[in-house]
Amino acid sequence: MSKEGSTTYEDLNIIGTGAYGTVYKARNRTNNTFVALKKIRVSLTEDGIPMNTLREIGLLKQLDSHEHPNIVRLLDICHGQRSESELVMFLVFEHVDQDLASFIDKWANSRTKLSNDKIRNISREILGGVDFLHSQRIVHRDLKPQNILVTQNCHIKLADFGLAKTYDFEMRLTTVVVTLWYRSPEVLLGQSYATPVDIWSVGCIMAELFMLKPLFCGTSEGDQLSKIFQILGKPHENEWPATNVFINYNSFEVKNKIEIKTLMPNICDNAFDLIMRMLTFNPYKRICALEALNHEYFMEEPLEL
Amino acid sequence: MPCWYYDKKELRNTPSSLDNIDYETEMRYRKEGARFIMDTAFKMDLGCNTKATGAVYFHRFYMFHSFRQFPRYVTACCCLFLAGKVEETPKKCRDIINTARGLLSDAKFSTFGEDPKEEVMTLERILLQTIKFDLQVEHPYRYLLRYAKCLVGDESKLEKMVQMAWTFVNDSLCTTLSLQWEPEIIAVALLYLAGKLSQFEVVDWVGRTNKHLRWWDMFVEDVTLDLLEDICHQVLDLYSQPVAEAPPDSPPLSPKLLLAAPSSSKTNGQEKEKVETPKIKPPATTVAPTLPEIPSYPYPPAFSTTSHAGTYLPQYANPTVAPPHIAAPPPGPPPPHMPAPPAVLYPPYVGPPPHYPPVVPPAPFYQPTPAAPPHRPFYPPPN
Repeated sequence: MSKEGSTTYEDLNIIGTGAYGTVYKARNRTNNTFVALKKIRVSLTEDGIPMNTLREIGLLKQLDSHEHPNIVRLLDICHGQRSESELVMFLVFEHVDQDLASFIDKWANSRTKLSNDKIRNISREILGGVDFLHSQRIVHRDLKPQNILVTQNCHIKLADFGLAKTYDFEMRLTTVVVTLWYRSPEVLLGQSYATPVDIWSVGCIMAELFMLKPLFCGTSEGDQLSKIFQILGKPHENEWPATNVFINYNSFEVKNKIEIKTLMPNICDNAFDLIMRMLTFNPYKRICALEALNHEYFMEEPLEL
Repeated sequence: MPCWYYDKKELRNTPSSLDNIDYETEMRYRKEGARFIMDTAFKMDLGCNTKATGAVYFHRFYMFHSFRQFPRYVTACCCLFLAGKVEETPKKCRDIINTARGLLSDAKFSTFGEDPKEEVMTLERILLQTIKFDLQVEHPYRYLLRYAKCLVGDESKLEKMVQMAWTFVNDSLCTTLSLQWEPEIIAVALLYLAGKLSQFEVVDWVGRTNKHLRWWDMFVEDVTLDLLEDICHQVLDLYSQPVAEAPPDSPPLSPKLLLAAPSSSKTNGQEKEKVETPKIKPPATTVAPTLPEIPSYPYPPAFSTTSHAGTYLPQYANPTVAPPHIAAPPPGPPPPHMPAPPAVLYPPYVGPPPHYPPVVPPAPFYQPTPAAPPHRPFYPPPN
């Protein structure tokens, strides 16, 4: 067990910079394997490491003991420097070379469509990971192609979950723009939210696999909602949340409606039906991960690549 | 995932034993540390899970460090401090230290050094690294209640038995059982022990099938009577240990740490202790071929002052009235005070059980064949 991350792990390069901090690719000097080091800064209170951070790290460790195939492995945790008010910690994850964003880019550039079987397998594995998180009472909150990893054998591993409260501290320190494209309407409208937000994100990502480009590319919360309504249509006024709404129902007018099927011309009926159930405006009526896994789309043959 | 279960040989080969602390002394230090965690938690109104989590951290910590290097009461405070945060019952470090000061003699408290809070806060990081951030710990309590709900029989007797088993679980934290067996197995064993002592024979249980020879076969696999009795004996041994009159408070620090010790008062405290440290004589604790003196239940005064039976059982406020939910498991979802049972009925065996037979085979305190009454029962039934 390493006392200091710097002695065991040798930083190679920055993989990504998120709202939560920086992820490095690093080499484990003891066994010469590659790892992803996530550096998080923890605010120290008068009473040491905050309860939220301890809870979340404890949860991550416990989650990892299940070794779910669609969840990235947490290999180690070590301390970095500590100052009066801050402690640097490194979460050491298994390293996966490719994320779904670059995977989609690669296919988009090749000008060939992804095969239906590939899309089905990727979707099923994403949902498998999401279902597992939800069964452990964890809402990912920020599912997007950038934190969905694709292994060389085309298997899916979800990353970047479970540190929501710890990240909040980091987010106040950074000005990194968080992508809105996979955000559910209830989040955009400032409502309380739960596991259905992840399903919305998976719906967006599934559509993206068929289109090889993002489905809703908003530039602000309001614009994001407009983009959603432009494609899905405006929900009935009854469905609009009654309280604590940031944005008024009547402030939207849907112009230039786009028929969603035209965006995904070669999609099969089952896949389309599943996506629409995931992109249901009302979170209570949205399909849940387990139901989605039992959807007919995944019963089609062949199941394997 | 590190494995937190050890066999008996490993438990005798700890950093403390390599540091020339004999086994009996280490077991005493563990017991005192854990008991201190429970007493402090009790004074601070902390629940059973917080104190149990703290005690498990404590035992795990000393599988990697020597009692000579880390004074046990400082570690105990740190474990309770961390457990408070993890179990969402946080207590200020300062308050824990103040409570500790009230419970400890000046000599013992002097191991906290000049700045006790800083001492504990510094240790927090070492503790976290040592226990490898495995912060979520499961305890036998929830299994105890879950299993008890399935047993069928006289309600007041059942009630008494669960109370007794609950106390045994509390006391088991003073042993290294949490380093040997999963909470499910400890719960079965101590419920079994309480059944023996309160003369509650389990003959029927909800969910019984032909495959189940014993009630616990429904919950755990491959648990033998030998194993259960070994666990029971480890708890019962606590009660047969004489209360040592003047054991040394702490082991002397290793020279290495004396040199490295940053705070001067700490060294002073240790030196003070050193003066009063005679050669340790291990407390006489032999699981006897002859019948050991088992106190009749409830415990002798020396023990009962520190045992908080019932206090930790909020839902059994009045021990004479059996709560209705014990009678039969409710058909619906579990009552709110009980966590939902995990989906897995049979817990995977984490620790391999093959380290049997035990070092000293315990005398059987239970006659497997009921048709042999002339034997004097090993443990006198409670009056």
